[in-house]
Amino acid sequence: MRNLFRGELVRLTAEEPGSRAKVEVHWQRDTEFHRLADSDPAGMESEKKLKEWFEKRNEEGFKPERYSFSVRTLDEDKLIGFFGLWLDLIHNEAWVGIGIGEREFWGKGYGTDMMKLCLQYAFTELNVYRVSLGLHAYNPRALRSYEKAGFRLEGCTRGDVAREGRRHDSLWMGILREEWIQMQNGDSK
Amino acid sequence: MNDIFSGKSVRLSAVDPDDFSRMFTRWSQDSEYMRLLNGNAIRLNSIAANKKWMEKELEGPSSGLYFFSIRSLADDQLIGEIVLDVSNWTSRDAFVGLSLGERENWGRGYGTDVMNVLLRFAFTEVNLRRVTLVVFEYNPRAIRSYEKAGFRHEGRYRKFLNREGRRWDMLLMGIQREEWMEQNMESHQ
Repeated sequence: MRNLFRGELVRLTAEEPGSRAKVEVHWQRDTEFHRLADSDPAGMESEKKLKEWFEKRNEEGFKPERYSFSVRTLDEDKLIGFFGLWLDLIHNEAWVGIGIGEREFWGKGYGTDMMKLCLQYAFTELNVYRVSLGLHAYNPRALRSYEKAGFRLEGCTRGDVAREGRRHDSLWMGILREEWIQMQNGDSK
Repeated sequence: MNDIFSGKSVRLSAVDPDDFSRMFTRWSQDSEYMRLLNGNAIRLNSIAANKKWMEKELEGPSSGLYFFSIRSLADDQLIGEIVLDVSNWTSRDAFVGLSLGERENWGRGYGTDVMNVLLRFAFTEVNLRRVTLVVFEYNPRAIRSYEKAGFRHEGRYRKFLNREGRRWDMLLMGIQREEWMEQNMESHQ
C-alpha cells in the first residue's frame, strides 16, 4: 500500500501545538495570507494563546468527524502549511480548509500537492462520497490549484464578503468520489 | 415520508434516565433477562447506579451512539431498550443490541418489530452500510427474530460462554445495506 502521508513535495505530520503556534505567530502578521485563508477579521494572538487553541484542537484528534494535519516540505522539513477535514458523518461528505503560511511556497505546486494528499486521504481512508470547499473570488491562484486537483466550481454567493471598501464573491467547489477515481485512472481530460 | 420512529406494535422514544433506571433495575431482578442480555457475570445494581450509567451513556464521546427506549403503541408502556452504536464511521458499520424487560412481552413479535424500525433508521437516516449483532446460542427466540428481520448468520465464537456448567457459542449476525434495501425499499416508499 502507498504511504498516504507523503506526496511529491510535502509530507503530512501531526499537528503539534508547540511548533504550530510558533509558525502561526509569523503567519498571522501577513494580512494577505489571512485574507486569502479566512473571512474573519485579521487578528493577532500571542503564541501562548495560539498554543492553547491548538492544544484544544488536539483533543478533537480522536473524533471521527475531525482530521487536522500540519504540512512539511520534503527537502527541508519546513513547516509551511496545514489542512483540516470536517466530516458530516451522516451524509458522508467532508469540507476542507487548507493554507500555506510561508509566502515563498506560494505558486510552486505545494498547495496542489497538499490537496492531492488531502483528497487521497478523504476518498481512500475516510471513504467519503464528496469533498467540498469555499474560497474567495479574489484568490485565483487557489481556484486554479483546486481545479488542478479535480474540484469543479459549483456555485457562487455574490458580494457576501466586504473587504477593502468593496464587496467580493465567494466561490464553492466540490469533487465527487467517482470523479476522483476517474482522475486516478488517468481518464480525466 | 413515514414516521420512522414507529412500527406496528412499538415505537422508539427518548431515554429518560429516571424512568429507564427504575424500569431496568426492576427487569434486572429476572436473572434470565440479564443472561440473555449480557455475557458478563450478571449483577444487581441500584437505581442510582443504573441512572448514573445511563447518564454517562447518553453523554457519548461523539455522535455515533443512538440509544432509545422501546414503548408499546397500545398502552405507551416502557417495555425495553435498543441501542445502535456506530463502531466504524469510515466503513459505516454499527453494532445493535436490544432487550425487552418483562417476560410477558417476550415472543409477541415486539422484538422483530422494533428491529425493523431500527434497521430503517440505520439504513435510511444514519445511512449506514451494514449492521452487526451478536447473540448467545441459548437464545433461540432472539436468533429467530433477527433472522426474520433479515440478519444472516456470519460466524460463531465457539464455546464462548460458560454458564450453568457448560459452554455455549456466541453467534455473529449481520445485514448489509443492499440486502435490507432489496427487502424493504418498495414498501418503504
